[in-house]
Amino acid sequence: MEMIKNFFKTFLLLELVKGMALTGRYFFARKITVQFPEEKTPQGFRFRGLHAQRRYASGEERCIGCKLCEAICPAMAINIEIAERADGTRRTTRYDIDLTKCIFCGFCEESCPVDAIVETRVLEYHGEKRGDLYYTKTMLLANGDKLEEQIAGDRAVDAKYR
Amino acid sequence: MINVEIDGKRVEIEAGRTVIEAAQLAGIYIPHFCYHKKLSIAASCRMCLVQVEKVPKPVPACATPVSDGMKVFTSSEMAVKAQQGVMEFLLINHPLDCPVCDQGGECQLQDLAVGYGATSSRYGEEKRVVLHKDIGPLVSAEEMSRCINCTRCVRFCQEIAGQMEMGQAFRGEHAEIMSFVGKTVDTELSGNMIDLCPVGALTSKPFRYTARNWELSRRKSVSPHDGLGTNLAVQVKNNRVMRVVPIENEEINECWLSDKDRFGYEGLNSGERLTRPMVKQNGKWQEVEWQVALEYAANALSQVASCAGATEVGALATPHSTLEELYLLQKLVRGLGSDNVDFRLRQADFSADGKRAGNHPHVNLPAEGEGANASSRVAGGEPRKFLPWLGMKVAEIGTSDRLLIVGSFLRKDHPLLAQRIRQAVKKGAQANLVHSADDDPLMKVANKAIVAPDAMANTLAQILKAMATEKQAATDASLKGIEVGGAAAAIARSLAGGERVAVLLGNFAQQHPQATQLQLLAQRIAELCGGKFGFLGEAANSVGGHLANALPGAEGMNAASMLAAPRKAYLLLHAEPELDCANSQQALSAMYAADLVVALSAYRHHAVDYANVLLPVAPFTETSGTFVSTEGRVQSFKGAVKPLGEARPAWKVLRVLGNLLNVAGFDHDSSEAVRDEVLGGMDIPAKLNNALQATTQPSALSPQPSGLQRVSDVPIYSADAIVRRAAALQKTRDAEEPRVAMRGDDLEKIGVSAGDRVKVTQGENSVGLVAAADDSLPPGVARVPAGHAATVGLGAMFGNVTVERA
Repeated sequence: MEMIKNFFKTFLLLELVKGMALTGRYFFARKITVQFPEEKTPQGFRFRGLHAQRRYASGEERCIGCKLCEAICPAMAINIEIAERADGTRRTTRYDIDLTKCIFCGFCEESCPVDAIVETRVLEYHGEKRGDLYYTKTMLLANGDKLEEQIAGDRAVDAKYR
Repeated sequence: MINVEIDGKRVEIEAGRTVIEAAQLAGIYIPHFCYHKKLSIAASCRMCLVQVEKVPKPVPACATPVSDGMKVFTSSEMAVKAQQGVMEFLLINHPLDCPVCDQGGECQLQDLAVGYGATSSRYGEEKRVVLHKDIGPLVSAEEMSRCINCTRCVRFCQEIAGQMEMGQAFRGEHAEIMSFVGKTVDTELSGNMIDLCPVGALTSKPFRYTARNWELSRRKSVSPHDGLGTNLAVQVKNNRVMRVVPIENEEINECWLSDKDRFGYEGLNSGERLTRPMVKQNGKWQEVEWQVALEYAANALSQVASCAGATEVGALATPHSTLEELYLLQKLVRGLGSDNVDFRLRQADFSADGKRAGNHPHVNLPAEGEGANASSRVAGGEPRKFLPWLGMKVAEIGTSDRLLIVGSFLRKDHPLLAQRIRQAVKKGAQANLVHSADDDPLMKVANKAIVAPDAMANTLAQILKAMATEKQAATDASLKGIEVGGAAAAIARSLAGGERVAVLLGNFAQQHPQATQLQLLAQRIAELCGGKFGFLGEAANSVGGHLANALPGAEGMNAASMLAAPRKAYLLLHAEPELDCANSQQALSAMYAADLVVALSAYRHHAVDYANVLLPVAPFTETSGTFVSTEGRVQSFKGAVKPLGEARPAWKVLRVLGNLLNVAGFDHDSSEAVRDEVLGGMDIPAKLNNALQATTQPSALSPQPSGLQRVSDVPIYSADAIVRRAAALQKTRDAEEPRVAMRGDDLEKIGVSAGDRVKVTQGENSVGLVAAADDSLPPGVARVPAGHAATVGLGAMFGNVTVERA
């Protein structure tokens, strides 16, 4: 009985027809390919991309050099040096993130008590040399200055979940 | 002994102890803030509330004495609820600034809030604000809002440091911890408040905001600053010493650290560090490779030794050097054929050298042996050499009931030993002092005799004579004609009434020009009252230098004679002769007169003027080595960080110098090998020997009337090369510009009032200083500190000076 069933299956090319039907369905269905960079996929407000350091509205940098991000970073990508500034506050004299080491886990952002280090929605950045992806404090602050509006907006949306 | 049950665990504990101690015995942790085992009980934080059976309310474990059959529950519902409630109250006013706080990560409040607190706060009102205070350059009180008023710092100052310098002002919500208005906390133990503070209210000023505590790795070390051998944890980050904290050792430093030990590390990172070997050519310093510098030094040394004779080579080392360094130095010098090596740089009286040990059975020869005569000999039958040490274990000081301390700036020279004595005095011991200055030791002094330096021997003779009468012993012929004064009689009476008597000679007595006489008299006083007799060791290796034999033999010259009769070549190990030697000007002129000075130093010091070769060597954190403490305890340590720049451990430098000079026996490949060569098979306790066999010279006992006598202390933060360069310590009141202090009436005689600038002349040398009045000094005495840049222009630490209006 089984033999006869298989004979007809092979003889009538049933699998081929099934396969072609699937191909045909997708051939005429709406395409989901995104034409990057002209087109972009939607991003969530918690997207974890390029890092930035934020400032307060007064222009004062937020970072207080507590080193919690450095301590928690599982990839050990963050390197901080601290010193007392003339006004008696503790500030970083060096704040480097090695993006070639970073695994974008977002722990730094999570650990930050003052929301200074954040991950932005920017994912299109590149380096031509290895060293280009070693972000220093000035570069991170520049990122923050450029993207502050979006960063602040995303934090505001997320606020009720935090 | 009674039985207590804690959380179902039965422990046996003596009556009178507290529940928290019983819990500790049972291995159960009870959260606490204000309780500290070395301090009195305040029961102010209420964190240690526990439930006790049949007691309706929770009770504080730190202040509740145990009773037989007591049942304690530390984690019952009642206890947990009470602890959570207390934690909530403590956190009401505590700022949530842990990320900014230096204590964050090692904070008791932070830890206990996680362990015993609630997950969130119910308090939304304004928090209390306490203004910051300035309590000196060492301890930061910048954020007093963090204070939880446990009063540990207050109790520490009062009970351990001996003087109430911190206190709690105002009441209730307004209670604040502060120092006296406008006053700083000047105790030499102030840094311990940082360790005691369970929150971040009192933190270290030099360490402030330089690192977070979890980044630091912890390396064990031993303090080089004084003879106690304090155990340190050197905390290191990026090959740099970031701070120093104590390692608890009940037999040595308990859980304390003096400020010198704690903040001295700043000197290790000083800008004055020598980092490259340098050779002076045509009057100009040139940085060279090690090979070049070492060959230059070796050639120059061997040239002096062969042309002018080996005895023209002299070596001076500080007693702060390690055992290995001292041993290799003396081996090198002896290999060259010279016997001129010494580490007792501040000593003036060397007449004990070469004296045989006495056979005083009572003078606590450590090896109790085969009778009085035999005990003065070691197994080989060799007569025992004189080797001054503490004469007892450090811990025994605390259990003495009568003490005689001769010539010691106790608090400044031995901060932690002074603390031990203070505790003994609190327990009822009587402290008696004989000294030339009346600095407050911050403890109750039973009797004191404050006399001019030349009358010290006489005063001791008086005590001895009074003691002989007291004990009905025969007096020595040399004591004839000594008239016993009231103070001496009182001291003798006090000592005679004791069971565990300790007679201790301080730095001042050891540096005294009649040191041997003082020592003989003190030894006999101890003998008569059956007490122990010892020396408070000045530096980390005051005993180790003797074991390493870094002192001249019968033929050699000692530190003083080497400088009095200048040599052609000097080898300096860590020494800054003008600051470390007894006679600054003599040392300096000897250095200038020398043809060759090879300075092994961690710092670019005054030697740049007179030396020919500067070899950068590593301080204690950068080398392995051994210190033998004043109680004869051998403590080896490893380097905590790599030597700075091109600096190298001094034992390695000396070893290579030995090779280059073709001296035999310089093939050690580790400092441990050197140590084993020195101490291997040595019975150290049998070597320690304070007993001298000599007779007192009656001439020493009668003070010659003379002019104004100099009394010198070495200021606490000028005592060694490292602390001299510790920036924060140099800002303290103890490091203020030295003044010449005299009695008010003595000042009046020369027509000077306190605050005037005066000219102090000693022999041919003079310096300008500010005069100060101090009526506690004996008459005819001018107190001029030594070992300080401002008084380098003067001569010996003792002797006559004249003071006149500048």
